[in-house]
Order: sequence, then structure tokens, then C-alpha cells
Amino acid sequence: MGKVTIEPLTRLEGHGKVTITLDDSGKPTDVKLNITALRGFEQFVVGRPAEEVPRIVPRICGICQTAHHLASVKAVDAAWGAQIPIAAEKLRELMHLGNMIHSHALHFYYLAAPDFVLGPDADPAVRNIIGVIGAAPEVAKKAIAMRRFGQTIVEAVGGRPIHPVTGIPGGQAKVFTEEKRDEILTEMDAMIEFGQEGLAIMKSLNEKYLDTIKTLGVIDTWYLGLVKDGKHNFYGDTLRFMSPDGKETMDFKPSEYTDYLGEHTVDHSYVKYPYNKKVGYPDGLYRVGPLAMINVCDSMATPLAEEARKEFVETFGKPANQSLAYNQARLIELLSACERTKQLLEDPEITSTDIKAEVQPKAGNGVGVVYAPRGTLFHNYETDDNGIVVKANMIVATTHNVPTMEKAIQQAASVVFK
Amino acid sequence: MADKVRLGLIQLCGCSGCHISLLDLHEQLLDVLPALDIVYAPIVADVKEIPEVDVFCIEGGARNEHDEHLMHEIREKSKVVIAWGTCAVYGGIPGLANLYKTEEINTTPYYTKTTDNPGVIPENGIPKLLDTVKPVTDVIKADYILPGCPPKPALNAAAIVALLNGKDPELPKKIVCDECPREKENVFPKEFKRSFEGTPDNETCLFEQGYTCVGMGTRSGCGAMCPSANMPCRGCYGKTDAVLDQSASTANTYANAGAPALEIPDKVGLLNRFSLPAALISKKVQK
Ligand code: SF4
Ligand code: SF4
Ligand code: SF4
Repeated sequence: MGKVTIEPLTRLEGHGKVTITLDDSGKPTDVKLNITALRGFEQFVVGRPAEEVPRIVPRICGICQTAHHLASVKAVDAAWGAQIPIAAEKLRELMHLGNMIHSHALHFYYLAAPDFVLGPDADPAVRNIIGVIGAAPEVAKKAIAMRRFGQTIVEAVGGRPIHPVTGIPGGQAKVFTEEKRDEILTEMDAMIEFGQEGLAIMKSLNEKYLDTIKTLGVIDTWYLGLVKDGKHNFYGDTLRFMSPDGKETMDFKPSEYTDYLGEHTVDHSYVKYPYNKKVGYPDGLYRVGPLAMINVCDSMATPLAEEARKEFVETFGKPANQSLAYNQARLIELLSACERTKQLLEDPEITSTDIKAEVQPKAGNGVGVVYAPRGTLFHNYETDDNGIVVKANMIVATTHNVPTMEKAIQQAASVVFK
Repeated sequence: MADKVRLGLIQLCGCSGCHISLLDLHEQLLDVLPALDIVYAPIVADVKEIPEVDVFCIEGGARNEHDEHLMHEIREKSKVVIAWGTCAVYGGIPGLANLYKTEEINTTPYYTKTTDNPGVIPENGIPKLLDTVKPVTDVIKADYILPGCPPKPALNAAAIVALLNGKDPELPKKIVCDECPREKENVFPKEFKRSFEGTPDNETCLFEQGYTCVGMGTRSGCGAMCPSANMPCRGCYGKTDAVLDQSASTANTYANAGAPALEIPDKVGLLNRFSLPAALISKKVQK
């Protein structure tokens, strides 16, 4: 019997290693994904005034910090029963889309594209964004521009490009100026074009690697995503589970999440394995993120992305179970995020000064959900009479995918080591 | 230094925000990157072994034994080590964990209401937690510090350019108030407000309006981003060189307001938000 350890796992936020146990004939008998980091946010937000927590939890992840900031402030609003002005709701959604554009561009162009652009056989040392700058500078320049565009929006609305601060219980702390809006709008159409081009690159790459895509890491799981009136939605308001064969769906509101979501502790990983409670563990394991989002929705909320979704369904089916179809799903979302950003920027209310309602701290229990770039994200706090956090539960995006990542690695190991 | 610097980047107990802030050089990346040979960076490239490098930037402090082990390995293999970002320099937000028992940090996540098998605590194939979060500077010698949560892209670039030219990177020496555009009258508030209370006046100092801004105890360099967005500073750049302790120097100013300062909730979490592990009193003594 032998053991293979793959460490560090690269291009993964968080820390992990894979342990593969092999039998005498070299077949893998056991494949485990160990997530090796624990920081303890659920403990150390206890005792903090709840309005401060949206300024603490972004440090869970420096890539999707805005999603944490927003899920957190939504949870505090819910715990205190605050109704926020519509303009504040729109500003938060805009901030969220900026983060989504940065993160999806990062993920595709910086992390996934090097494998495709340079080929999976290229030297690992150059198979990165710097390699892409060398091999396809035009692609790299557009990737850089998209990230900058997204970060500019977060900074303009959230006060900082990384770890924004303007979401406060009751609404938003900072007005979005018309000058800033106009400045951002000048680049908007170019970004929608880049979004379309990225999708075209992906489709041609997909054709080239279709066999790999259709065999490597194909697993049947449940899916969890966020919709609004059945349509794909980055910011709210209904959660939807879809069964592996696509026949069954379950819709529920964030406040009902404990009826639908369970988490199972395993011995070999600091992360717990979330599952669909109505189905049970482990059959109810599910995936989140772009693939899940595209799978669960009835349609995209914007026209160009909806066209792209239809094509996606023709190629991969509904639901698509191919892990590598994530990349195309992500690009459909990137395009959709750009289209929706344009709608919001053109909405006259986005520069409104009516952005904050008076709130009173009180004892309560609130849940906040948004779709983080890696998957649906939950923050849940209980507060005391003074609005101090007494208990917290967070289910963060990457966590949802860990059990199924492990499954995909198990499947891949059985192909690679056969 | 050689014309191309062999650079290593790693994230330990951090959030990868410092890495992202480096990418936020955006188009300038195309100027900076050619001068660098990034030989190790698990976030972007698939290299398993830590090689010998000229400059290693460590993001994040040590939360577990593995982080600590990696710091030692990096020190051995690097000519210059930079404690990169506030987590690496002062412990950062994860350092708030030092207000609790390690046992609580280790077990609380496995007792939440969504956990179906409460009480099972993972322990196989994963590194043990240390008793406290430790900044890089507590574990190994760092040649330079680059605070900020995260450090602004321009600060990252300036440090890299300085090293390329064989110079020492320089840090801003002033405090956030010096960069803050708000007007100060040198008065002290009669009472303190929490950040959701009322709507602050846009032109004048937040602290003087009674909001708990800690810019007076915090190193400048961010351009007073938070007060400019109508939110009080939370101290993410840590202390200045002139003082021993961020919270002590901030508390000094607050003390001038007298009794109302005593009413502020969670003073430890406010004044030590980003630098508890490096503070004079760096943890809560647990009975
Ligand atoms: S200093 Fe801030 S941005 Fe950098 S790793 Fe720590 S939390 Fe993240
Ligand atoms: S205390 Fe805060 S608001 Fe006042 S000048 Fe300093 S940084 Fe600005
Ligand atoms: S104002 Fe304070 S908290 Fe905000 S970025 Fe600057 S140093 Fe950090």
C-alpha cells in the first residue's frame, strides 16, 4: 500500500492537500481532501457590536470580500428588523456586481485560462497569468481591464476596492455621485463586448478539449443557487435546490435555511460538509457556484446572457454535471453581470441621496444570503438587546463545494491512476 | 540586487486580499511583472516545492503549526523576507481570536445549529492550532514590514521598486488624520455614537462628531479611505513607528473625552481590531 500526498493545492483560496491511499496494484482505495485552515470567525465575532461585523467578516476571503460584507449587513438588517431604502438596495447590488466582475474575470483569465491558452502540458511554472501575458497579450489586457472595472465600481460604491465599508444597518453610508457614475459608464459597453469575446474564446476552447470536459470530474450532485422569480440572480432573494437529474426543485427563503441545510463534520478536514437536509447525508451533497447557478435558474435575467445559457444547455444538458463546464457557466455570468451593471448605472435612482433609514439595535436573529462568486453564502447572527452578537453561523461559498470537489478528485484519481 | 528579482509569495493565516491588492496595480502590472521572476506563488502557479528566492512576501500570520513550520522554511530559503499586510505584521483580524480560548476557536464551529453531528472535532491529516495567532515577526526575523489590510497597490509597487533598486522600502510615517480631508476643531465629543446612529456631517471630523474613529492611532498610507466614505477608520494599517502600541495611543486621545469614552461597547475589539497579537497586552488571560 502506498500514499500520495499532493500539497499545497494551488489556485485554491483556503488551504488544502489531497491524500491518496493506493493498494498494491497502484489503484486508489481512498482519496481525501484535507482543508487545513481554520480561523474561527464564528467564535470571534461573538461579543462584537453587530454593526461592526460587516467590517470584520470581509477578511474571510480577500477575493469575495464584498459578498461577505453584504451578506453580513443583510443579516444584521434582518436581525434588527430594518427596512432599507430602495436606492440603498440598488447600491448594494451594484457593489456586489463590481465584485462579481472582478472575481469572475480573475478566476477565468488568471486561474483557468492559463491551462487552456498555454495548454495543460505547458511547464507549470509558466502556466499562469504571466505566461498568458507572453502568449496572448491581448487576452491579458482585457482581463486586466475587466478586473479594474469591477474593482473601480466596488471602490466607488463601497469606499474601498477590497474589504468595502459602506454597508451599514439601515442602508448605505455613502452616496454614489453622478460624476462617478458617468465616468464608469464610459467603459461599460466595452466591458459587455469583452464579456462576449471571453465567452467566444471559451466556446472554441471547449470544442478543442471537449473529450476531457465530458469525462474528467463528471459527478452527479444536487445544485444550490439563487433566483428571483425563477430568474438567475446574483443578489437575492430565493434559494433553489435542484436534484442531480434536474427533475426536482425546492425553493426556500434565506430565513428558512436551517430547514434545508445541514452540515456534517468529518474527521479529516476543518470544513464541514453541507448537504440538502431534505435528502440527507451524503446523498444530499450539492454544488454551488456558476455551474449550479446556471443549472437551477429558469432563465438568465439579461438578454445576451440568456442566449448564451440556451447554447450552454444544448452543449452540456440541463443540469450540466461536468465540472469543467464551470468555466463556460462562469463566463455567462460575467456577461450577465456586465449587462445588469449597465441597467443599474442607467437607473436614475442609483445616485439618490435617500440611502439610509434609522434603525434600533435589538435582540433578534437574522440571516443574510448573497451569491458569492464561488457560490451561495450564508451569514446568520443572533443579537442581544444592545445589538451585540451572541451567536454566529456562517456557511461560506468554497465550503459548499469541498465535499463534491473531493468526489471529483476521487473520480479523477480513478481515471489517472488506473 | 540582480536585475530580475526571484520572488516568492505565500498566503498563510490571511485572506489573499494582499495578493489581490498586488493585482490591483492593473495595467501597471505589465511594467512591474517583467522585472520579477515569480518562482513560488501557490495562488497563481502550480509549484509544489519552496525554492531559494531573493524576496519572499508572507501574507498572513501563523494560526497553526503548519504555518509556523512554513515560516521557518521560507526564512531559510530567502534572502529578504517581507511581512506583507497587517495580518503578517500585527496579526490582523484573525488575531481577534486571541480574545477566546483556543479550545473555543477549535470547537465552536462544530456546534452550530446546522451541524448534524455536533461534538465531532476534526483532527486527522490537519495541522494543530497554535495557542494564539502569531504575526510573522513573532516567529521569524522579517527584514521589512508592509502593513495595511491590504496594503494599497501603490505601496506594494513602491516596496518592490525600492528592493529592485537596492534600497530599503519606506513606510508612511504619519497618521490617518494627517491624510483625512475632514475639518478638525480640536474639541472632544460629549458622547459617543455607534456607526449606524444618525447621519454624520460630511465635512467635519468623525471623532469630533462622536463617531469612534481611530485614525489618530493609525499609520497613514491608505489616503483615509474610510472617513472619505463617511465611515470611521478601524485602524487597519496598525500603529506608527512613534508609538509602542496602537490601542494605547488611541486610548490616550479617547481619554480626553472623559467618562463617555468608558461607555463605548467592545473597547478591546475597537482599539485592537487589527493588531491584538502585537499589542502590549496581546491576549485575554483565560481562567
Ligand atoms: S492583511 Fe487584510 S487583506 Fe491582507 S491577508 Fe490579512 S486580512 Fe487579508
Ligand atoms: S479622527 Fe477620523 S475623521 Fe477625524 S480627522 Fe482623524 S481620521 Fe479623520
Ligand atoms: S481609514 Fe483606517 S481602516 Fe480605513 S483603510 Fe485607512 S487605515 Fe484602514
